[in-house]
Amino acid sequence: MTRQIAAIALKEFSILIKDLEALALLFAMPVFFILVMSFALEGVFEAGTADRPIEILVVNQDAGRMAGVITDDIASVEGLKITRNIDGAPLTRDLAERLVKERSWPAALLFKPGFSESVARYATSVEADAPHVSLIMDPATNRQLLAPVQAAVTAMVERRVMTARQIHQIQNRISEFGKDLSEYLNAEEDLAAGRHAPGVSLEILAPEGATAVLRPSATEQNVPAYTIFGVFFIVLPLAAGFMREKHEGTFQRILAAPISRATLLVGKLLPYYLVNLLQIGLMFTVGVVLFHIRIGQLPALILVSLALAACANGLGLMVAALGRTEAQIGALGVFFAVVLSALGGMMVPTFVMPEVMETLSRFTPHAWALSGYHDVMLRGLGPADVLKETVILLAFAAFFFLMALWRFRFAD
Amino acid sequence: MTGPMILLDSLRKTYGHFVAVAGLSLRVEGGECFGLLGPNGAGKTTTINMIAGLLMPTAGTVHIAGTSLTAHPRQAKINLGLVPQDFAVYPALSARDNLVFFGRLYGLWGRALATRIRYALDIVRLADRAEVPVSTYSNGMKRRLNLAIGLLHDPAVLILDEPTVGVDAHSRHAIVSSLKDLIESGKTLLYCTHHLWEAEALCSRVAIMDLGRVIALDTPRQLIREHGTGLIRVEFELPVNESLLRALEGFGAVCQASSRLAGFQFQSSEPNTALEKVLKLADEWSTGVRSAQLLEPTLETVFLNLTGRSVRD
Repeated sequence: MTRQIAAIALKEFSILIKDLEALALLFAMPVFFILVMSFALEGVFEAGTADRPIEILVVNQDAGRMAGVITDDIASVEGLKITRNIDGAPLTRDLAERLVKERSWPAALLFKPGFSESVARYATSVEADAPHVSLIMDPATNRQLLAPVQAAVTAMVERRVMTARQIHQIQNRISEFGKDLSEYLNAEEDLAAGRHAPGVSLEILAPEGATAVLRPSATEQNVPAYTIFGVFFIVLPLAAGFMREKHEGTFQRILAAPISRATLLVGKLLPYYLVNLLQIGLMFTVGVVLFHIRIGQLPALILVSLALAACANGLGLMVAALGRTEAQIGALGVFFAVVLSALGGMMVPTFVMPEVMETLSRFTPHAWALSGYHDVMLRGLGPADVLKETVILLAFAAFFFLMALWRFRFAD
Repeated sequence: MTGPMILLDSLRKTYGHFVAVAGLSLRVEGGECFGLLGPNGAGKTTTINMIAGLLMPTAGTVHIAGTSLTAHPRQAKINLGLVPQDFAVYPALSARDNLVFFGRLYGLWGRALATRIRYALDIVRLADRAEVPVSTYSNGMKRRLNLAIGLLHDPAVLILDEPTVGVDAHSRHAIVSSLKDLIESGKTLLYCTHHLWEAEALCSRVAIMDLGRVIALDTPRQLIREHGTGLIRVEFELPVNESLLRALEGFGAVCQASSRLAGFQFQSSEPNTALEKVLKLADEWSTGVRSAQLLEPTLETVFLNLTGRSVRD
């Protein structure tokens, strides 16, 4: 029996090593996946540390000292990096909004005119409104990652407010020295009552032009990402279907009919394209019906979806053209479907990735599709605003199709 | 129409320095069953692929029913039906669904398609299993369906590449019988096969190809008359050793023999004399003769004589 097992194992091994490319991909795929995910997740675990601080812009419109002092306080917090000037000039609100909208920075802190006065008022009167600070952030940004920013801003403003209030209280006590003890106790009650009120009013704003909701739900973040992830899995059945027809000789038989190769390819791809669109439709329908996500302007969403499906189909055809065996097609299909998804920000947002990974992600169609969907769903943009993403996705599709047509053979 | 149904003029296909088909010129007339024979690597499949429009010739032209395949591929292909060596069917679909699909590629829809499907299924005797998935078919049934698809759109020319390979005797006879019906109905057939008895039975003319060239072209009868030699098949009671083998080679070309085997066959232009000598030799070597057959010259022997190889080599 042992010899039989050995014989079978040797036979299987000899078959395996006959397809070295497929074998190599079996090893390369998990290695790539580990590398991509490790680099990508580095951002999640290290964001907000001294090595990888969260960078925010600060726009100071306050004529007094308080905004500058608080900005210095925030700058001293480990894990936060403040940018006050661009090209040597103090940041304006318009420039900050543009930079956030372009996703160059995740957020900008805005101290409006009169901030110092509002801190002073709040310190001297429990009836005054809390000082107001605005945080302009990209709606598509993962809010958990910006939580340290919010916490630091709130803490620093409250600390300054409380310090000012305590000084004011001490000054009052000294000036009213000798007053009745009961009044002192009443004052203490006032102070205690004041402590229940927030020390700062932190307002979250979207950059100018982004009209979408400011608090996207987890589903609104996940639906587009996992839709794109799922759409690219069409690569596997599509490439396998092409390989099967090639092996079984049906392509040759079809081409013996009065039919062009282009017609055959279009006819063959069309069902997969429609399946992709159905997938996208179903995923978003589930999101809307079960989780009440907002999908923004439908024409813009359709535009991105059409380009995305073309891209996935092109990739499938390219895999069919590059793979010479079913094992190679399987490995290549999984490689492109999973590893490119990870690299493209489907599992971890690209802005938390190291810079090199973030740059690499721009070479994946996944990242551009996600950007397009976020523009529509979270930033409330229209068809004209997603033209850039649509054109880039179509360029990816064209590249995949051209590669496929260059390498594809209709017969073994 | 008058004129040839298939006309090849100086057809050539090269892959780098390798010449697969070297300037082939052929003329197949309407209603003719033309056999294309040759050992593996002779260039038959390359020729068929060029005639079917699946492969672009390096040089030369193909005309189908008077239409240039290069200039008007769509029109030329309408007149062509291809029965490839691969099954080239969809196993998950039924025979009818396969026929519907391929029929539509040729522009058949509705009643016209239904009529042609009925005709094709009747010809290959698959009407009673038309609704069953092809994956449940035997190889013979798949071959018959392959044929049905090829003739579905009623092409003027039917190209058959090994239509009976790998099937049982019953299915082979069924297919050959269907092909005879088609020939009688006036269909033009280009028939490529390893089974030379089929070519003899069906083809009015055959071309024998080797190394990309036609080395003989005539009616089977004329080829046998010109190139055929008698075939002697003998089986001794003892295995043929090297010395006996050398002695046998003195009587004619030994085709199959080995020191392990007692049986062998060889060709001779004077088979009667050769057989007598073999029997005498067996007597001298004190080995009995289990069986001895003197076979008529056939295309098989023509093939061996011309190519030096068996058709299955």
